[in-house]
Amino acid sequence: MTTEAEAVLYDGRTSRPIDAVVRIREQGVLEVDADGERFLWPLEDKDLQWERSRALLRLSFGHHPRKVLIVREAAFIRSFADHVQRAGRRGVYDRVLSLARGGPLLFFLGTVVVLVLGYLYAIPWGAEHLTLLLPRSLDTRSGNAVYDVMSDELDLDSARSTALQRFGDQLQLSPHYTLQYHVVHDDQVNAFALPGGHIVVFTGILDKLERPEELAALLAHEATHVEDRHSMRMLVRQASSYVFLSLLLGDVNGVVAVVAQNADNIRNLSYSRDLESKADLEGMQHLVANGVDPHGMVDLLKLLREEASDVPQGVSFLSSHPLTAQRIADAEREAGTMEVPTSGYRDLDDVFGAVRSLP
Amino acid sequence: MPQYRITMENRTSRLAFIGEGGDLFVILLVNWLLTVITLGIYYPWAKARRLQYFYEHTELDGHPFHFHGTGREMFKGFIKAVGLFLAVYGIYFLLIMVRMPVLAIIFLLGALIGLVPLVLHGTYRYRLGRSSWRAIHFGYRGELRELFRICLRDGALTLITFGIYGAWLQMHLRNYILGHVRLGSSRFSYKGDGMDYFLLNLKGYLLTLITLGIYAFWWQRDLFNYYVDNLRWEFDEGKRVEFRSTATGGDFFGLIVGNLLLVLFTLGIGLAWAHVRTMRFISGHISFVGETDLDRLVQTELEHKNATADELGDLLDIGIFI
Repeated sequence: MTTEAEAVLYDGRTSRPIDAVVRIREQGVLEVDADGERFLWPLEDKDLQWERSRALLRLSFGHHPRKVLIVREAAFIRSFADHVQRAGRRGVYDRVLSLARGGPLLFFLGTVVVLVLGYLYAIPWGAEHLTLLLPRSLDTRSGNAVYDVMSDELDLDSARSTALQRFGDQLQLSPHYTLQYHVVHDDQVNAFALPGGHIVVFTGILDKLERPEELAALLAHEATHVEDRHSMRMLVRQASSYVFLSLLLGDVNGVVAVVAQNADNIRNLSYSRDLESKADLEGMQHLVANGVDPHGMVDLLKLLREEASDVPQGVSFLSSHPLTAQRIADAEREAGTMEVPTSGYRDLDDVFGAVRSLP
Repeated sequence: MPQYRITMENRTSRLAFIGEGGDLFVILLVNWLLTVITLGIYYPWAKARRLQYFYEHTELDGHPFHFHGTGREMFKGFIKAVGLFLAVYGIYFLLIMVRMPVLAIIFLLGALIGLVPLVLHGTYRYRLGRSSWRAIHFGYRGELRELFRICLRDGALTLITFGIYGAWLQMHLRNYILGHVRLGSSRFSYKGDGMDYFLLNLKGYLLTLITLGIYAFWWQRDLFNYYVDNLRWEFDEGKRVEFRSTATGGDFFGLIVGNLLLVLFTLGIGLAWAHVRTMRFISGHISFVGETDLDRLVQTELEHKNATADELGDLLDIGIFI
């Protein structure tokens, strides 16, 4: 093992190169002889720093201006690396780096696999748990803020809104939020929920409904989005995916821009397919809990499937285009397993009549 | 003792980049992995490693440069920069919320414009203060006030002239900043002229249009030459070294098209090799004219460890290569 090499020393006072000899002593100490002077640099000393490649070792020691020693003998550099390892000064970075140097191609493929799995599984999982950490009041506040801005553009029908509110109040759909229902004059077959409890139903969809169970199903579906914080989940998931992709592409300013960009996203959010199905199925459980026939959801979905072909855009209730036969089949199967309540609907029928008949 | 002399006779490049694409690839790969799995926290360390590789493998007269910056100090700077960034946006959103949108936009624009000289000043102080050659540190001794003055005055004139005065703005900045760069007891200076630079760009622009883009490589050569040829390195006792570019339009064609193909056909994996080609190109096309004794540089600069501006520049995407 080569423990001695010729080197060049710079003393940090002038740029004059000084011929030097460097040795590694048994006790893990570097000994440098230059210009008749001897310096001892212990390997454990945190003041001793180095950068190493195969052909060049650069050591620096002391406080500013530091002394610098350059060694270019490959055999010495290898033995220096061994001593460093023995002195316990080999960090995570060095370990990963030597792993990568061992098989760059394999390491590259491994890295890609890890990152793809991270993107597909770790990010949604992390986003889900991050959402749970956010206070529920955040949903209410952001939903209110968005509704304030939106309501100027919406043609609200206050009489039918009141009736719909009476209808909705008869059902317990969301323990954590106060649901506020709004009816809007618009021919689109559409309904949507904002985080925190605003549920907007367009007259276009309202006038298509034939039975109170269908309306209850629609509200239960939207209320599930609210109660289970689907907007927040999608928002956090989108933001974290964006951050992750920015990191992959090494785009730091992109990472920070996320903070500024997500303000208005709630409006343009579409739920993922699995969240829509969840809203169907959990909505049905809410219906049963409220003594309403869960087949209302099946009828509602069938009704809307016919509409979907006419109005492909702006049907946010159907945001997971297309409204797949799968979703209907799932709802049908689920309804089959549920006990259909036999008790009456209290005065849902009357109120439904009020919601429908108002001009 | 050997004398390191740069003489008129020796017009070959004294700069050399000795890095290898394969080595750089592994470093960038490890940086990439660690940055992503730490959700970006590793970024400052990755940046330090990358810069260290480039400095360490660039040699002047057979002696490597060195970057002393550490991930830890860059991380501190990163945190401060993020704080500053969020504070600016916080005030902006606060003004929006209290329904003062005009004031909010004026504030945001003012803050972003005001940050440019701050970023330039701080980044030069940090980068150069943490760079050395033969253990002698570089340094930047410009004043922030002067940069503000240039940015404000020339920035306003650039706005009024629909961007034409930008050429003068750029030359004034370059003259000032490069004129305050030091390497120990030696100094650098730059003599750029706004009109020359404007005409150079006008010619480049028009000919690029006429030749359907082909002249872009020669335009690039002119920009590079203008940068290199106007730079001087001044020593004690009136000695000085001038820089000369030896790059041709054909060289630039080879570099740019080659790099493009290299990155495209490897789906980005070839980026490390493209970086190496660029560094070799730059170092290989700068030659030195003049005579001096490079053994007689004396350490003069203090240490500067505040990396906030450097990181802020990354966040705001402000390039510091003026």
